[in-house]
Amino acid sequence: MQPEEKLAGEEVEYQTCDPGFTTTDWATFRDDDIMQQHNAIQAEEAVKKPYVSDKERNIIFLMQEPLSVLSEEYQSGSPILLEKIQVLSESYAAIRRTRGDGNCFFRSFMFSYLEHILESQDKAEVDRITANIEQCKKTLQSLGYADFTFEDFFALFLEQLENVLQGNESSISHEDLVQRSRDQSVSDYVVMFFRFVTSGEIRRRSEFFEPFILGLSNTTVEQFCKTSVEPMGEESDHVHIIALSDALGVPIRVMYLDRSSCDAEGVSVNHHDFIPTVGDVQNTTSKGVSDFVKPFITLLYRPGHYDILYPKQSGKQY
Amino acid sequence: MVDCARIQKELVDCNKDKGISGISVTLDGDEFTHLTGTITGPVGTPYEGGIFQIDIQMPGEYPFEPPKMRFLTKVWHPNISSQNGAICLDILKDQWSPALTLKTALLSLQALLSAPEPGDPQDAVVAQQYLRDYPTFAGTARYWTETFAKRSSMGIEEKVQKLVEMGFPDVLVRKTLEIVGGDENMALEKLCTG
Repeated sequence: MQPEEKLAGEEVEYQTCDPGFTTTDWATFRDDDIMQQHNAIQAEEAVKKPYVSDKERNIIFLMQEPLSVLSEEYQSGSPILLEKIQVLSESYAAIRRTRGDGNCFFRSFMFSYLEHILESQDKAEVDRITANIEQCKKTLQSLGYADFTFEDFFALFLEQLENVLQGNESSISHEDLVQRSRDQSVSDYVVMFFRFVTSGEIRRRSEFFEPFILGLSNTTVEQFCKTSVEPMGEESDHVHIIALSDALGVPIRVMYLDRSSCDAEGVSVNHHDFIPTVGDVQNTTSKGVSDFVKPFITLLYRPGHYDILYPKQSGKQY
Repeated sequence: MVDCARIQKELVDCNKDKGISGISVTLDGDEFTHLTGTITGPVGTPYEGGIFQIDIQMPGEYPFEPPKMRFLTKVWHPNISSQNGAICLDILKDQWSPALTLKTALLSLQALLSAPEPGDPQDAVVAQQYLRDYPTFAGTARYWTETFAKRSSMGIEEKVQKLVEMGFPDVLVRKTLEIVGGDENMALEKLCTG
């Protein structure tokens, strides 16, 4: 019973097309081989990334560095960028660089948010975001996601949130937070948590997001979430930022360091504040929405990449 | 380390409505690293009536890494290797997400049987045939379904033998069986009329 033999007569090309194909290839030609190759290419690309040493290349977060490292990076680069870095350094003291693996926006957001809670010990904010997260869970359930697909990711983020609050046995220090955020098994789970939240928010308000998504990728909302939000390593665009900021009720400031031209007044650095839509901010406190509109998370965007920026403590806010 | 708790939940989720979905997953032995999936061929396609088995290897990084899937049942399809069962499907590669499950992956395979994508082939020969000579493609796919994916049905060699005993030449019998998708009665009718 060997239909191939019979087919061989008709499908002459069959043999000529795959000359090397023998039965021994059966077990060796697999999807994972292709993926391994893909990963190898990515690793090769990562090596090419300048100004990051081999040792640093695979670290998810680097240590905080003074903003002057940026000027050093661009020393032989565009004068406009150098001028912009100068402007940035008037308001910002430091940068924390993140790995360029397509998850940098979510990772930067994670670290910046948890660090803010660790330093501010803002329990009201923790209660507020916890309520929002509960809402996100319900959103996913109503969209038809099976609980087991997202519950572990949610639980892990809530655990981190609890741990950065001090005074418990499980409380962690700033150093612990850095170590933990660099631990792939924690970091990736939190990134995936944010991807679920983002996807749920986009799908829940698909009519609102549809025109943005059409402009970006010319696909349906459903397809966009499946291909550009939920898979790890897919880069974030303003659609992701709007959705995450709205869903969690957390404002985000993004400073844009690019070559865009400047007006005659002199060099300035464009920025955009992503302020959660009021109607979607859950648990608005009696103090009012204005409490939310000052972003405590600032990210530096360079085309294709996000890092964390630290404002000067006493200096004027940009 | 494989996330056994999650895979356990997935098995329950996948098998609870297998009567409707036509999809099920079983453990291969006691390990959570090796499973076998089963999907039914979609109605109205050359795979209708077939039961296809899929080898599933669970990587240690699951659900961050996709399950490694490959057809154990031989199948004639542009996106599945006729040689080794390797599958060309984006969600099993770079479009995988931890939001997906074994069930959604197997459902996607079922959908792939319904809607081949010859523009992104795994098996160039099949894809070419699909594009240039659809009737032959459909006939071959039906024949393969009949031969390899129907465990209860009579083996193709038995059918050939029966028809040859009736006095038809072997080569013609095989060709006719292939054209009608392996149906013995249809082959006989065609042999008698043709």
